[in-house]
Amino acid sequence: MKISVNKGLSIVLIIIAAGYLIMAYQLPEYIFVPVDADLVPKLLGYALLILSIFFFFSKDIDTDEQKAKRVIPKNDFFILLGILAMILLYITVLEVIGFVIMTALFIIASSRFLGYKNWTVLLLTSLLFAGSAYSLFNYGLAIRLPAGILPF
Amino acid sequence: MLKRIILILILPLFLIAGCSMPVQSGSINEQGQWVPDRSIEIIAPAAAGGGWDTTARMLARTIDEEGLADQSFGVVNKPGGGGAVAWSYIHKRNDPHNIFISSPPLHFVYLNGQSPFGYEDFTPIANLIADYGAFAVREDAEWNSLEDLFTDMREDPESITVVGASSPGSMDHIQFMMFADKAGVDITKIRYISDQDSGGMTSVLNGSVDVISTGVMDAADQARAGKLKILGITAPERLEGDEYLSTLPTAKEQGIDAEFIVWRGMFGPPDMTEEQLAYYEDIYKEVSESDAFAEVRDMYGWDEQFMGSDEFREFLDEQSDDLENILIELGFIEEDEDENIGQ
Amino acid sequence: MFDGILQGFQVAFSWEAIMFVFLGVLLGTIIGMIPGLGPISAIAIMIPITYGMDPTIALVMMAGVYYGSMYGGSTSSILLNAPGVAGTVAASFDGYPMAQQGKAGKALAISAIASFVGGTVSVILLMLFAPMLASVAILFGPPEYFALMLLGLTAIASLSEGSTIKALISAVLGFMIVTIGIDSQTGTSRFTFGSVNLLDGIDFLIIALGVFALAEVCFLILNRKQKMKGLSNIGSLKLSKQDIKEMKGPLTRQSFLGFILGVLPGAGATISSFVAYISEKKLAKNPDEFGKGSIKGLTGPETANNAATSGAFVPLLSLGIPGSGTTAVMLGAFLVLGVQPGPLLMTENPTVFWGVIASMYIGNIFLLILNLPLIPYFVKILKVPRPLLISLVIVSSLVGVYAVSFSTFDLYLLVIFGILGYLMRIFAFPAAPFILAFILGGMMEQALRQSLTISGGSWSIFYTSPLTMFLFIIMIIALVVPAWRDRIRRKKEEAKVKKY
Repeated sequence: MKISVNKGLSIVLIIIAAGYLIMAYQLPEYIFVPVDADLVPKLLGYALLILSIFFFFSKDIDTDEQKAKRVIPKNDFFILLGILAMILLYITVLEVIGFVIMTALFIIASSRFLGYKNWTVLLLTSLLFAGSAYSLFNYGLAIRLPAGILPF
Repeated sequence: MLKRIILILILPLFLIAGCSMPVQSGSINEQGQWVPDRSIEIIAPAAAGGGWDTTARMLARTIDEEGLADQSFGVVNKPGGGGAVAWSYIHKRNDPHNIFISSPPLHFVYLNGQSPFGYEDFTPIANLIADYGAFAVREDAEWNSLEDLFTDMREDPESITVVGASSPGSMDHIQFMMFADKAGVDITKIRYISDQDSGGMTSVLNGSVDVISTGVMDAADQARAGKLKILGITAPERLEGDEYLSTLPTAKEQGIDAEFIVWRGMFGPPDMTEEQLAYYEDIYKEVSESDAFAEVRDMYGWDEQFMGSDEFREFLDEQSDDLENILIELGFIEEDEDENIGQ
Repeated sequence: MFDGILQGFQVAFSWEAIMFVFLGVLLGTIIGMIPGLGPISAIAIMIPITYGMDPTIALVMMAGVYYGSMYGGSTSSILLNAPGVAGTVAASFDGYPMAQQGKAGKALAISAIASFVGGTVSVILLMLFAPMLASVAILFGPPEYFALMLLGLTAIASLSEGSTIKALISAVLGFMIVTIGIDSQTGTSRFTFGSVNLLDGIDFLIIALGVFALAEVCFLILNRKQKMKGLSNIGSLKLSKQDIKEMKGPLTRQSFLGFILGVLPGAGATISSFVAYISEKKLAKNPDEFGKGSIKGLTGPETANNAATSGAFVPLLSLGIPGSGTTAVMLGAFLVLGVQPGPLLMTENPTVFWGVIASMYIGNIFLLILNLPLIPYFVKILKVPRPLLISLVIVSSLVGVYAVSFSTFDLYLLVIFGILGYLMRIFAFPAAPFILAFILGGMMEQALRQSLTISGGSWSIFYTSPLTMFLFIIMIIALVVPAWRDRIRRKKEEAKVKKY
């Protein structure tokens, strides 16, 4: 049997609600207040549970427009994943390599990846953006962004 | 082609990612003094704008302007977990170029089990300033002294509500509990409300709550305008300097033998050599004695209270014990050892 | 008091003050435009710099940074769907669609005019009523806040685009996110999975930038080859008579409403902008246009957030009570400059009190003349080639979050919320209820439990106060009237159909 998108979604939501509820029931007790920290989370957990059950049986029509939004050409899907990987890499090594280098590299790499061809503009923008953002934060606002391997 | 370019760009990054920013330890010069390798980072374990941040920035400015150190002192914010994020960062790096500012929440966050590191895991460098707590009620309230209030609370502790900015188990809550406990009130029955948005001031001014537990300066301003009555402050002696502040009664003179000092001081990473400690201790001693910092203190209404490393550590031991006892009595933590179940 | 006002104007119109107001609003506009970086950090950093300056001049400048950032924040909200400041999230609901339709210049012009009107009207109100409003600011205790937040939450259904059940689910999820962190009433850490990084909860900006900016980036990537419509005319600021007519209603209403909400400590610009959006939608004759580039939907929040910023000065100046993070930092700035805000400020230091207020007139005028001519240049950013623009938006969002929390953990969270936002979009779960529940939910829970602690567990505290009752009545009206109006409309339509 093939389940519809909404039914699938509601099952995911039911699992989230259940997990949340389990954690809510494990919250330690605090005796000095009439309403403890677990009341609202429990209510929320049940609310989500009930809503997802309703959602499961609801006749929410999946419009064609929505369907179209979900259909992603395989190629585009890999591009999204590629950008995601670049972002994650950026985050992971930001504090090690430093802001200026990573930011410039990111702008160059992702713009190229998305199909931008003009190297001159690209180099100029990336360096200008990274450099000016860094000096604005570090010197203008005294907010220290990671310098990393650069000496300044 | 494109893929290859990206690969070439990315590969070296992975290689460098293996090593992180080097931890430097500085060197010792001919006079046996420590010489730092690079600029010093004063870490404020909070976002820009809070008490820790402000103090850190004022300290850095004083050191800079008075030329008290060869290296520049810059403030770095590391907010999160009420300080826990910064503390674990400093503990892990263990770099003598990283020092941080702290105050009693260092005790509270640790004792409540929200951070694995307490003051004992770091090197106390020096304390610089002291601030105090105050207990106040609305101008038209029936109580005129702490004794009045605590007499009623002894009879029926549940009839009176107390508000403060911090969550239970932290500063505003525990400072009140400390004094109520000494006055013989059953502190497990006191109703405490935490109000982080406006520190409880609105609730007490509009009469929703009876008592506010807060800092002296916050309460004093409202009291001066005739909106609040300050029943007692947590300082060991009356405050000096300001005509109005010196009229505020201490809890001690009302027969409650307790004090709570909201200290603010500097700490270094866990393993510091004697030379490193001496370097910082000297700088902060000079800061504390400078006219420039005296002005800053006046501006904020802070008290001067310089303590060197040893004295500071002893003071912290004592305060930590006091606080732990209250937390045990309230059932926030279990009695045995440092093991705590926290929340 | 009149002498005080006069003195204030004298100070505000001195050359020095005018110069520093200009500096302040310029800095504010720039800081506001950078996603993530808000007025809090800017003011905190200015504190040591202004030390020793004439307090009035310094404060006038900092106030300029504060309300200037609201102007700047909406620019990035409208152009890139990346809110620069929390108070401008609601401006993106209709501002961004307008920009997408090639009306970016017009959207920014509307935003600037709305900000100007909201800012100016509220300063007048501030001047006239500040001394009196001090008592209004403390009118609200925990039960009243609870009622107010509940009133806000009932609007969730009206923010749904289509399916109500999806809107509700999205709201519950938003509410769940805000329960992460240390619970302030008990000190219990909830849903933190033992991570210290989650103890303080998740910052609003991470949610806003993730769910709006990064999710939008995904669509920009997918549609990167499509040409933007109407690019040629994009910088046009022209407003038709019809447009101005549409703006009039929200301008008047939200100047007042925004100001009053701003006066309440804790409510502030973000909540008032959402309230403005919702109330305009409820009052509108054509609520269907909201979310698709409605002029009213943009004017409302833009007026309200600026009005609320001035309103926030009431508790700060006349009570010494900060109602938000930004005003708390402002309070610190006052102290450093040797001025104690509070009940005595107006009598002891009238020059500062009235000087700061009077300078806001000038500041708002500066902001208008600063922003309007620059709009054609701002909108040029949309002409940047897509791949480059996408990269820049991603990097700006990342920097914005990093500059606030200095933690890569928060950056990963940002990515997670970006993915969540994207999934919500493709499965047609509206993001607005999610954000609204996140903002209001936390405060509502705290107010509820504070009230019950005060009353010792008795729920009667919620119906013994006349003010709470009043708010509950408004809530019922807000729920019933639109439903009733809908029914009448539907019946009319049915009747029409029958005729033919």
